[in-house]
Amino acid sequence: MSRRIGSILIRAIITLLMVAVLNFVLFRVIPGDPASLLLSGARTSVTAEQMAAQRQNWGLDRPLFPDQMVDYLSATLQGDFGYSFKFRGRHVADLILERLPATIVLVGLAQLIAILCGVMLGLYAGWRRGGAGDHIATGASLALYSTPAFWLGMILVVIFSTALGWLPGYGAHSPGAITSSLDWLLDYLGHLALPVTAVALGLIGQYVVVARAAMSDVVTEDYMVTARAKGLTGGQMLMRHALRNAMLPVVTLITLNLGYVVAGAITVEAVFAWPGIGGLTVEALNARDYPVLQGIFLLLGASIVVANLIADLAYGLLDPRVR
Amino acid sequence: MSESIAKYPHPGRTRAIKNFLRQFLGYGGAQLGLICLVFFLVMAALPNILVGPLQTAINATGDFLAPPSGDHLLGTDEVGRDVLNLVVHGARISLTIALLATLISLIVGTTVGMTAGYYGGRLDVWLMRLTDFFFVMPSFVLALVITPVVVEVIGRGQEILGFRPSLFVILVVIGMTSWAFVARIVRSQTLSLKERTFIDRARVVGSSNLSIMARHILPNLVPQIAANGALVVAGAIYVETSLSFLGLGDPLQPSWGTLLSLAQRAGAASAGAWWYLGAPGVCVLTVSLSFVLIGNALDDTFNPRRRVIP
Repeated sequence: MSRRIGSILIRAIITLLMVAVLNFVLFRVIPGDPASLLLSGARTSVTAEQMAAQRQNWGLDRPLFPDQMVDYLSATLQGDFGYSFKFRGRHVADLILERLPATIVLVGLAQLIAILCGVMLGLYAGWRRGGAGDHIATGASLALYSTPAFWLGMILVVIFSTALGWLPGYGAHSPGAITSSLDWLLDYLGHLALPVTAVALGLIGQYVVVARAAMSDVVTEDYMVTARAKGLTGGQMLMRHALRNAMLPVVTLITLNLGYVVAGAITVEAVFAWPGIGGLTVEALNARDYPVLQGIFLLLGASIVVANLIADLAYGLLDPRVR
Repeated sequence: MSESIAKYPHPGRTRAIKNFLRQFLGYGGAQLGLICLVFFLVMAALPNILVGPLQTAINATGDFLAPPSGDHLLGTDEVGRDVLNLVVHGARISLTIALLATLISLIVGTTVGMTAGYYGGRLDVWLMRLTDFFFVMPSFVLALVITPVVVEVIGRGQEILGFRPSLFVILVVIGMTSWAFVARIVRSQTLSLKERTFIDRARVVGSSNLSIMARHILPNLVPQIAANGALVVAGAIYVETSLSFLGLGDPLQPSWGTLLSLAQRAGAASAGAWWYLGAPGVCVLTVSLSFVLIGNALDDTFNPRRRVIP
């Protein structure tokens, strides 16, 4: 068991290291000298001496490998992701931390709804496979699975915001003074409704497909025939044998998915101008703000690696055979 | 003697292909997917004959954001271009990007997986470590940070192989980042194939490693590669649409994702212009669903364990 955890940890660290190295390489292949790139926004013209002084100051006169790369990696480890081009003088880490809570709320709520609806629907469809409910659920979830979540978001805005006027389709707060904290919360939840629905719908399709496949696999196993032969009722078979075994791949998928969900939420946030990581990504892309873009890449990479780590460890806990 | 041995496979092979087609086309999903796909492939092949040359702001033919009418079956966009015209031309761009990206991904994935599985040892360990990285990191996330940098390096100037630079970069980056799943499956198949007697026989006869891989192992991998290839296409369409939506596409060669991005910037959703953002989205949904259905049907056909489940 401890050997398994060790190798899992090593794999995670190697992946993170590769993300950081990729970041370093990408920044250095951008044409132009990094020093002139960084000083290009200076208000007064920069003399050659100042440039040389800055190059020395930033360590740009030393060899790329290993000196500069080691510097970069150790700075990254200490949480120093550099400065933004667009938001002058601001730390990338600060910018990201500022936007992170909005994304976590959006993704967390959507994930919760998707798990509740998607997994239950999928397990039911797999248990009663071949029935009318199964066909409808499978067809609908395959269609949802193939649809970009951000497009679902745009359609939701057209229907519920523009045509019906029920819910706001832009930003996180209404402009104007908010009097009480209850009003604030209701306003926030109203703004949250459509983006959360869009992200959740995108996930539900996937969860239904996987939960159904897991349940279908379990139902055809020999121990289910044995359970039937023992005289268990359908409900007992479902609770004692089917559910426990079917949940294993489902739990793994959901944990694995954590990182991907953050990535998928980027486009949905762009539709709703949600003030999270997605909005920041679009701003950074439009302004070609590479330090911010790389900070986001590092964040996404880290969350995916951590999600994988949790999934691997959870699998060992849930499945005694792995131990 | 050798003549008669060489002749045996042929009737067997035609029968196998017939069997495969009967089973594959027996799935309702495969039929639906193939019909939709043919429809979109015709669209992608003959855009100029079907709807005339691509409209730009200069030769736009309609009013601004006009709803569907007899003249413009799918309405117009914010500069008066016909949405049907844009969507049909978008089919060519979206489909070529997705198919070429898939081709790259299958070539890389098969090469890596087969080499790792066949040679084993230290090479296998290192190739699989590389595969692990691309397996864990989603193509979308990698492409998000790699694409703008590479576009900056090669410049936004002239076209490469008929693609605008950013589209060319997107298709190569998607191809180079989405091969890990294929590599894993190919490797595990190769591991079991290389222990079979016909591989030993080929080695005894004096075939080189390269020729064993190309002539004996690769043909046996085709089912797995095909079934996964269809799913890779669906993934590539998704990634391309998302990247273009975030503004990495090229307005001079608008794919469906770029159209959605233009619609978003023009405020089509809050203007209630459902036709403008609906048309490209429905196309993405249909094509991607078709490939998923075809991939699932191929998987069911080739995988006898799955066949029991309806």
